[in-house]
Amino acid sequence: MITCGVDVGAGSTKAVLLEDGKRLLATTWLPTKGQTSVAAKTAIETLTRDANLLPDEIASICSTGFGRYSVEERNLQVSDITSSARGAVFLHPAARHVLDIGTQSSRAIAINERGRVLKFKMNEKCAAGAGRFVERCSKYLQVPPEDMGARACLATNPRTISSVCAVLAETEIINYIAEEVPVQDILMGIFMSLAERGHALMKNVGIQPDVVLVGGLVQSAGMVEALRRTTGLEVHVDPRMHHAAAIGAAMLAHMRLEKTRGGTPSMPASGRGMA
Amino acid sequence: MAAPIVAGVDVGSTTAKCAILQDGRILGTSLSPVGVDIVRDAERSLDAALVEAHLTRKDLAFIAGTGYGRYKVRFGQLVITEISCHAKGAVFLFPKTRLVVDIGGQDTKAIRVNASGEVVDFAMNDKCAAGTGRFLDVCAGALGYDVSELGALSLAARKPMKVTSTCTVFAESEVQSYLARGKDPKDIIAGLHASIANRSLSLIQRVGIEEEVTFTGGVSRNEGMVQALNARLGTKVNVNPLSQHIGAIGAALFAAERAAAPDAGKVAA
Repeated sequence: MITCGVDVGAGSTKAVLLEDGKRLLATTWLPTKGQTSVAAKTAIETLTRDANLLPDEIASICSTGFGRYSVEERNLQVSDITSSARGAVFLHPAARHVLDIGTQSSRAIAINERGRVLKFKMNEKCAAGAGRFVERCSKYLQVPPEDMGARACLATNPRTISSVCAVLAETEIINYIAEEVPVQDILMGIFMSLAERGHALMKNVGIQPDVVLVGGLVQSAGMVEALRRTTGLEVHVDPRMHHAAAIGAAMLAHMRLEKTRGGTPSMPASGRGMA
Repeated sequence: MAAPIVAGVDVGSTTAKCAILQDGRILGTSLSPVGVDIVRDAERSLDAALVEAHLTRKDLAFIAGTGYGRYKVRFGQLVITEISCHAKGAVFLFPKTRLVVDIGGQDTKAIRVNASGEVVDFAMNDKCAAGTGRFLDVCAGALGYDVSELGALSLAARKPMKVTSTCTVFAESEVQSYLARGKDPKDIIAGLHASIANRSLSLIQRVGIEEEVTFTGGVSRNEGMVQALNARLGTKVNVNPLSQHIGAIGAALFAAERAAAPDAGKVAA
């Protein structure tokens, strides 16, 4: 039995196919570009094609993320907190604390061994500590987003950058550029500012190892290094964690089907979701 | 002997303001941008006001610096916080002022004052760009206008939009999505002003709402913002063409006190 998880984020849409709630068959992602339904549809079509499936071979689709209600194909939807927690444990069974840094919000989640949420704290009011800030810095510093992490790791004297306000932080960055501070020192300062903000959320929830990072910045060596320096913790990193919420959603779709054993999944958009 | 001529220089995050005073009369003012070289910008601010007053630095008995960049007013003999200066300047221009709302480029303050222009209490947001001139600047950019055009445009709004984001970065995205949905920029701008007025109100409530309110700082030059604040506070706030210079005027008044009584001890914190 194959289920699909679609995570429609503010920045990008991630989707996966899971067989029997256990085997990852295919993954994909694309920028959301403000078009949540279109992005979700495209992601589902891509997965179906990549896995050589017919659309009706997907037993159930579960959506998650900020745009979860605009996924027309969904059979159910769950909050991204629930799905990230599940997905994190799927990929790293020892995970007990998830730091999820998204484009427009970040959250720290304490979880149990089954991937259930025990407690969480999130920041969605402000761009400081969120991926959007990193995207903007990429423009200012003229360093492509995918290169920022590796360059930050070359820093010898990271500069302090406000972790309170992304706009005031940009002024600080412009001043550093004017003072000809090396780009890598500014870059590490940017990641440290995110890490500081994330650490505050984590402490609020209570930190238990293993700590895993989830979201688009998992591939950024600079982000991982900054978290290590700021928290003093070993942060578990796996590039597949970018898809953690989508994986969790596909798992939850599978669990829902198991419950209603043998029956067809509920009709699209029914119910209030699991979270 | 004629009263001493004094100057106050208010170096903000965005602009520098200078006021030259003699015996409670304003002889000259200036308003100029602040860039990377703050020391130089502070000097320029003073020199521009001196030109307007037909004076030279030799004519000045005392200079006081204030504002975010007050420590860069290296030619001054006195440094005072902008909170004290706004209080003093506001009561000088509007003697019945009991509350000053100062919205600057990078921070917002609510200051309760007494009849002598002394600070009784204050609350400020200087940690985050929300509700400051910077917020308007960024959103004006997203709309394709200069910040100076916003006031007049918002006065022509018919159906103000609700801007729900507190964060400047998210408000910018919200503005862009309103534009993409074909909303009238004038209605969006009115919504931005209302959002800043709301934000100011929460600061004001921390110090207590007072009868007579004087609106200062660069954002007070925005007529749409004045109306939004009036609507939110249910009063008519004082504004003056020199509202943006109130900090500099306050600094000059402190300089005058010091010039008149050089041994009178510390003037203000």
